Amino acid sequence: MARDRANSDDYTGPLKRLLAILLVLILTGIFLVWRIDSPRVERFRAQVTDKVLPNFEWAMAPVTATITLIRDFQSYQSLHEQNQELKRELQKMRKWKEAAVQLGQENARLLDLNQVRLDPRLTFITGVVMADSGSPFRQSVVINIGSHDGILDGWAAMDGIGLVGRISGVGNNTSRVLLLTDATSRTPVTVQPSGQQGLLVGDNTLAPALEFLENADAVRPGDRVVSSGDGGVFPAGLLVGEVATDPGGRMRVRLAADYERLEFLRVLRHHGAERILDPGKLILPETPPDSATAETTETEAGGADG
Amino acid sequence: MDDITLTRLWLMRAGFAALILGLIFYQLLPLETTPRRFAGPDLVMGFAFAWVLRRPEYTPLVLTAGLLLIADLFLGRPPGLYAALTLLAFDNLRTRTTGLRAMPFTVEWLTVAAAITGVILVYRLILAMLLVPLPALGLQLMQLLMTVLCYPLVVLVTRFVFGLRAPGLGEVNALGQRQ
Repeated sequence: MARDRANSDDYTGPLKRLLAILLVLILTGIFLVWRIDSPRVERFRAQVTDKVLPNFEWAMAPVTATITLIRDFQSYQSLHEQNQELKRELQKMRKWKEAAVQLGQENARLLDLNQVRLDPRLTFITGVVMADSGSPFRQSVVINIGSHDGILDGWAAMDGIGLVGRISGVGNNTSRVLLLTDATSRTPVTVQPSGQQGLLVGDNTLAPALEFLENADAVRPGDRVVSSGDGGVFPAGLLVGEVATDPGGRMRVRLAADYERLEFLRVLRHHGAERILDPGKLILPETPPDSATAETTETEAGGADG
Repeated sequence: MDDITLTRLWLMRAGFAALILGLIFYQLLPLETTPRRFAGPDLVMGFAFAWVLRRPEYTPLVLTAGLLLIADLFLGRPPGLYAALTLLAFDNLRTRTTGLRAMPFTVEWLTVAAAITGVILVYRLILAMLLVPLPALGLQLMQLLMTVLCYPLVVLVTRFVFGLRAPGLGEVNALGQRQ
């Protein structure tokens, strides 16, 4: 048997070895190119996703729907309990709704009195989630809108309530949303009543950590966390979640967005906040007196000599 | 080599490609958007190893390399490295096919476990050396363990769903070579 193998492999064996080595070298080469010029290869990855994924949408949607249906079916068993609970919650919500309507009216009146101009450019485009990252190590989703719809890298993605992540990689008809829970996600935030600035650091858990607070004592569990707009990537004031402490005593943020069901995402159009770049100029009289100019030039000359 | 065996050869190759693409497709379904505390097995690697140890002629190198690269691109890994290491282990197993065939299954299992462990260890080592952010250690260890534990299951599926088994003594394969 060993001799047979030796005979049949006489020619094909070494050739296959060579081919294997060649293929490994090519793959390693691709990896090295990625390491050196990551943006270009990542753009290539986005383009491949863009070309391939929409073709499978017809299959992906029904399969996903079926599996979700089966999972939902299990929860029908506790339907009655859920119903009771929902009714109780609805009662509470009615009370809150009444309060919210009153506050809304009051707010509108006050804004009107102050003549505040809210940012009119903050419009959004809604996309449907097509695929997730497919790996337990990365947290991202692919949505079905891309540069064709004017999406740009860095724009904020929200579900109906809170911030979900930011656009990272745009194809023609698809784009990838890097979720706040991904280990590489960093978002500048403000904790609301105290106004503390901090950084929301994703670490592959459902509740990202809150770090680099100026004064951690001023922050309490239950405080509202909103995006701060520092760095100019996100608009300020998007709801992120509320502060909570984990058993280890670390500050974390319970996200407001429903990560269990990311189905539709809103991408906010944001063209960067206008920034004040130059310091205020000295306001001088238009024609300075002659004597003053002569004096300054003299002192300048003296300074240069010395 | 008559037409039937040739058709079968290409059918099985297409079947292998479809299987791997199907696995990637299933992983991409947006079912889990919350961070997982649990990592499943790397079935792409498991099936590639199980197939090559049974019928190497159904898993040509170029096809496998292409499929592994596609997996890298779609599953968000640094493209090329994981594929290159898996292909190295794959080729190594391909040369051992005849030797392992005479052994009991446990030996095959241990060999495959060693191969998977090697791939993941070297993968992490190279990433760390090139200062690329590493995937979470706990999750990756869990994936390694799950892949090894699921291997017998993968072999059973390969045997009974796809009807692949190691050729017997003196049997010729689809290319007319004696194994």
